[in-house]
Amino acid sequence: MLTRRVIVCLDVKGARVVKGVQFVGLRDVGDPVALATRYEAEGADEITFLDISASAEERATLLDVARRTAEQLFIPLTIGGGVRTADDVARALRAGADKVSLNSAAVTRPEVLTEAADRFGAQCVVASIDAKRGEGGAWKVWVKGGREETPLEAVAWAQECVARGAGEILLTSIDRDGARTGYDLDLTRAVADAVNVPVIASGGAGEARHLVDAVTEGHADAVLVAGILHDGLTTVAALKDVMRAAGLPVRALPELVA
Amino acid sequence: MSTPRLRVSVFDYEAGNLHSLVKSIETEFTTVRVERDPAAAVRDTDALILPGVGAFTPAAERLASGRDAMRDALLGGLPCLGICLGMQLLFDHSDEGPGQGLSVLTGRVTRLDAQRVPQIGWNTLEPTAPLDPLLVQSGLDTVYYANSFVCRPTGESGRHVIAYTTHEGDRFPAAVRVGNVVGAQFHPEKSSAPGVRFVRAFLREAVHIAAQRGTLGSSATEDVTP
Repeated sequence: MLTRRVIVCLDVKGARVVKGVQFVGLRDVGDPVALATRYEAEGADEITFLDISASAEERATLLDVARRTAEQLFIPLTIGGGVRTADDVARALRAGADKVSLNSAAVTRPEVLTEAADRFGAQCVVASIDAKRGEGGAWKVWVKGGREETPLEAVAWAQECVARGAGEILLTSIDRDGARTGYDLDLTRAVADAVNVPVIASGGAGEARHLVDAVTEGHADAVLVAGILHDGLTTVAALKDVMRAAGLPVRALPELVA
Repeated sequence: MSTPRLRVSVFDYEAGNLHSLVKSIETEFTTVRVERDPAAAVRDTDALILPGVGAFTPAAERLASGRDAMRDALLGGLPCLGICLGMQLLFDHSDEGPGQGLSVLTGRVTRLDAQRVPQIGWNTLEPTAPLDPLLVQSGLDTVYYANSFVCRPTGESGRHVIAYTTHEGDRFPAAVRVGNVVGAQFHPEKSSAPGVRFVRAFLREAVHIAAQRGTLGSSATEDVTP
């Protein structure tokens, strides 16, 4: 039986993790390689690097970081942010990503999902959707890091992404992002029930119970967690203990000596 | 003279990321080379790795020129670890697209019979008895998958399944072994420490085989016998 995944997201700018990450005792607190491997040791099932680079130079640096990370990380690595074309996807995969997520670029030109899936397989193409509840209650798709509204309705857009080749949906609630009041369960369920690929719930994790709810009530296959881990409020192992106690199948922490 | 090392070749279909895989096979007792030519990949080597990223048809096309040489080498006892697509290439054909596999095992590759496809995530192994030494040594029980297609062995090949996994209602071969050839539908190089141990256990087994055959670490010229 497939276990429910806990995915840790790191915001990376150039060679550094940005946003405060408060691990104690780690020599280089902002080093993506060190943090990714540390989360693997804690039991993370996947790592996502969200590239928030502002320049081509920083973007090139991130690919080098991905390369160094892939050499030390033995769980899947997803790279997202600023990926526009199938060639960008190719570069990220070659650098060491196992999956690549596309967001704004897919809205601008949905064909890119098909182009990437045809070349590399649906299993490495993640459609990242930022959704926000609009007037009348429907969820709208927002792009450009949540700054620009589109006419797209989130559930229908998720279905189109899958039809065009996405093998997974990373669904972020803009309303809940950073609020730590729990994932948007209605949004998550609406999308998860409408598509036949895994859906990753994102935005709003404040405590372990929220992860359980995202799976049981939101029907998510996986949950994305960032702030509460980086701030040292909890650990992946502690989150998974609660999920396991709630009866969810989760991967046990492996012994570390390889 | 230095201690002979296990020569490991990785057949690269140029489909994707080999970093974690190459890193997992780079050990103090191995020398690793990546080969784009299928015939060269089975020359002067002690173990072959068929990596797991890509689609069946382009990989089969890449394989075509050296398919017979590779098949002969595997049937001749060359240790091989095929991962995901690499395991699928051990079989005859795939519904993913046209192309000829290595036919080291008989059977076809077909789409997972499940609602949620691709299967992405960690799933559990259901080993068959007797437990394969690689599973014993690695302690592997939950493994990472990213696949839409799985192998369906026919006839005698069904006896070579060393573990199954079930996705929704579809029970499929998670790993196979025929002689020194091992296939894993999951990604050991993405299955954290136990997965890396699985790869290392395969490599240590290959060391014993190469030592028995007297080929461990020998160079191309030393291979030439009068």
